[in-house]
Amino acid sequence: MRLLALVVRLAVPAALLVACSGPPAPPLPPRVAAFAKLPDWSGLWEPNVFVGEGIGQSLSAEGLKAGASIMGVTFPFTPEWQAKFDAAKAAQAAAVAADPNHPPAPTYNNCASPPFIMNMASPAIYEWRVTPEETTIVDTINGIRHIYTDGRSHPAADEVWPTKAGDSIGHWDGDTLVVDTIAIKPDVMLTPQLGLKMSDQLHFVERFRMVNADELHDELTLEDPVALTKPFEITFVFKRVKDATRMIDETECDSTTDRNPIVNGRFTSITTR
Amino acid sequence: MKGIITAARHASFALCALLGSGLASAHHSAAMFDGGKEITLTGTVKEFQWMSPHCWIQLLVPDEAHPDAAPVEWGIEMDNPTGLSRHGWKPSSLKAGDRIVVVAHPLRDGTSGAQVVSVSKDGKPIGKPAEAPAQ
Repeated sequence: MRLLALVVRLAVPAALLVACSGPPAPPLPPRVAAFAKLPDWSGLWEPNVFVGEGIGQSLSAEGLKAGASIMGVTFPFTPEWQAKFDAAKAAQAAAVAADPNHPPAPTYNNCASPPFIMNMASPAIYEWRVTPEETTIVDTINGIRHIYTDGRSHPAADEVWPTKAGDSIGHWDGDTLVVDTIAIKPDVMLTPQLGLKMSDQLHFVERFRMVNADELHDELTLEDPVALTKPFEITFVFKRVKDATRMIDETECDSTTDRNPIVNGRFTSITTR
Repeated sequence: MKGIITAARHASFALCALLGSGLASAHHSAAMFDGGKEITLTGTVKEFQWMSPHCWIQLLVPDEAHPDAAPVEWGIEMDNPTGLSRHGWKPSSLKAGDRIVVVAHPLRDGTSGAQVVSVSKDGKPIGKPAEAPAQ
């Protein structure tokens, strides 16, 4: 009798539970399940160098502190590239001395969006659009990077050519996106201000990860066996943007809107418009 | 000391020289401006240009030494619209005829152009309060 009572006491709640919860949920569609495994990097981000930038684009105290760590880097150039670097710096110094009021300008025009890797450290707002097949990084200065995570390889050597963003493929290592990039235009790398080209063997590996709710890191390792004696590492830190809620592309820039035109490789004065 | 701090706040050119102009500005380097010098301009807004890649204040500044002379028109460069909006600025923040005080870094070549630091109207700064200076 006691046994019967126990069975009833257990069976009735169990039956009620099944009746209330219904049949087990069907498995998620494969793509939805794939989405569910991805980290949430939604929101707007900006490089920490430019957090609190002034209305004239001067750096804040936090930005200066962040920038100082970048300013302190030394590239491990090979002797051949070190000589090129030194010569370029000397030429720039001579140009500044010759006309301090009109300093030498970068080797690309004002209106060009910054090349990779410098587009990862620009005063702009960034978004990471994470999908199972691809992560797209979009910024407000006309920069878009497509990072394919569908298992593909880089294109064959005879099907790839140097571009500003290069060709990127990636895979997930837990919550870290590991990105491999090749085919970057060597003439817009690292030191466009000095006009120093890297070699055509440039190769990048990046590890993107969100270290906390408000900070996302891009740990970048640059390899160039011709120009560098060893891999060069640098980390770009992105902070969550809290004073803006939308992406607005601000790239209306051409000869009619650019009031600081570069003339003969030098910054000019301000034209009236 | 103020000059040093100001120069440090505009270290973006040093970054730019090292790693490329992209780090210094979305559009261009600030090298043509003297980041170690600040000037104060009091004048009347001729035009407020809310545009990319930079917003501009065209400011008519009277020549105090020659009151009868025509005012000098200055071009004051600002951040882009998104950057300004993050500081509480709007396209309607200034209009022609407004009397304002502008603190700015002048062009190195002495022509009448400058990079804005702050703008005030009726004794009050426009936009959100500025961040404390770098220490």
